[in-house]
Amino acid sequence: MESLTVPAKIDYLDEAADFIEANLQALSCPDKIQLQIRLAVEEVFVNIASYAYEGSAHPETGKAVLTFTHLENPSRVQISFADEGVPFNPLDKEDSDTSEEAIMARAGGMGILLVKNMMDDVEYVYRDGQNILTVTKNLTGGEDA
Amino acid sequence: MSMDMNLIKRGTEGELQLIGYIDASNAAEVEKIIVDLVGQFDTLILDMEKLEYVSSAGLRAFRHAFMDMRKKHGTLCAKNVSSSVMEVFEITGFTRLFKFI
Repeated sequence: MESLTVPAKIDYLDEAADFIEANLQALSCPDKIQLQIRLAVEEVFVNIASYAYEGSAHPETGKAVLTFTHLENPSRVQISFADEGVPFNPLDKEDSDTSEEAIMARAGGMGILLVKNMMDDVEYVYRDGQNILTVTKNLTGGEDA
Repeated sequence: MSMDMNLIKRGTEGELQLIGYIDASNAAEVEKIIVDLVGQFDTLILDMEKLEYVSSAGLRAFRHAFMDMRKKHGTLCAKNVSSSVMEVFEITGFTRLFKFI
């Protein structure tokens, strides 16, 4: 298990993405899956950077902690994102409407829609004052693997 | 992440080749350029052959371009879309925004 703690700011997106990429490169992960994971990391991290510490007393000191774990049988990676911001479950909001009206009117929500579709599992818990979102992605090919 | 672009002008039609990544760190810049081109051309073709990656921030840039193009009754086209980027369009319904050529 590897972890990275960075300020919850958009400027640290590359650092967060590079941390995950470096861990993935040690595993033989197909390019397509790497891009899907990169996308999930960006969407979750940007949400934390944009909203987690909004309105808090010290937004400038808010942190995000990323944890990378590789599991076997089947080979899969688990990435957790923890923040100490206001409790917020991004999975609560079902936003799968892809009509043209919905697309045009949508302010947010597209990111989490992508995460849900591209990852094999997405879970949220609020524990010990932290929002923890964990995504799991199988590395062994198809959806049924 | 890096992003490069090449523009080909053919009268009222423009073709913009997008190369690299569009993510939260450069989407605002990409949006500004594409929206500016929508103002200049009746038809704007986005060649996505070398576009490897688009996140939701990039989708918002395309949406802005589409809305402006619709207002002026022009056409926003996409071609050579990679399977990774097409997957992002399909999940979010953005396949509706482009005329694929």
